[in-house]
Amino acid sequence: MIRTLIRSQWLLLVTVALYLWAFAVAPERAGNALAMGAGTFASVLLLIVAVFGLVGLLQVWISRELIVRLLGREGGIKGLLVAALCGTLLIGPAYIIFPLLMSLQKQGARWAVITIVLTSYAVKLQMIPIEVGFLGWPFTLSRAILTVTLAIPTGLLVEALMERRQL
Amino acid sequence: MLLVGFIYLLLIGSAYLVFFSINPQKSRQSLKIAGQSLIKLLPLLVAIFGLVGLFQEFLPPQLVSKWLGESSGFLALLIGAAAGAIAIGPPLAAYPLAGSLIAAGAWPPAVAAFILSWISVGIITLPFEAQTFGGRFALLRNGISFIVAILCGLLLGLLL
Repeated sequence: MIRTLIRSQWLLLVTVALYLWAFAVAPERAGNALAMGAGTFASVLLLIVAVFGLVGLLQVWISRELIVRLLGREGGIKGLLVAALCGTLLIGPAYIIFPLLMSLQKQGARWAVITIVLTSYAVKLQMIPIEVGFLGWPFTLSRAILTVTLAIPTGLLVEALMERRQL
Repeated sequence: MLLVGFIYLLLIGSAYLVFFSINPQKSRQSLKIAGQSLIKLLPLLVAIFGLVGLFQEFLPPQLVSKWLGESSGFLALLIGAAAGAIAIGPPLAAYPLAGSLIAAGAWPPAVAAFILSWISVGIITLPFEAQTFGGRFALLRNGISFIVAILCGLLLGLLL
């Protein structure tokens, strides 16, 4: 039980340990840090709650199964564009996403599609308000556009390299 | 940000009202998923915002600008991308950390590379990716994604 707690919440444990150390060394500054952290958290809490409301809606109305069906249906350039879009909407930890994509690959999806989903995964459309809150519009928009644009050549490059061995 | 949050909450709330009238059962399921994901993520969020506070108070800006500052150029990009590749966590956690790095004087392209490789390059998840897709794909994809993270950071520097 302790091991699973350490494995799943190691970052929280590290943070608590850092705070204990900070309070021992410099209690006043540690208090400042705690206050700043809590203040930041409080200021985005509403936004986070709203974003998770959206996450719930998307997950039910655009389920992972639907995304997989969409990805499997299209080949060609349209399929690559769909993959880039799907990656930005897909949410979930690696242990859910990887097997999902592998089942897709086994059904005949291209390596490019898998890679594009995993690259454009770095943009989360439903979380954009939070990213804007911390990093501003110019940064967020540029990063989103660049990531999705670069996802397609990345996918094609990985696919080309994957297929070279089979020649 | 409080106001933005409030507006966003209002929008999503009205969306829920609309969906409830279309399909109450699916909407209840949405609410349940929303609540469960949020609760599951809560300890991590507490940790991240705790770290953000520590960063702001204890991380010396000279150190940040030395390693991640614009004057370090390509090295800053490389360090940002490498830190992101080692770190693991949901996208949501990357933004507050990235924000506090920029506030401490980090170069935005290096921070963009950090976010990108945080999400799409995973040294810790590499064994699992190799097991799922095969070693060749896992290495190729992570390697190329690492380079793309740096490239994206560079291009972002040109855009901003």
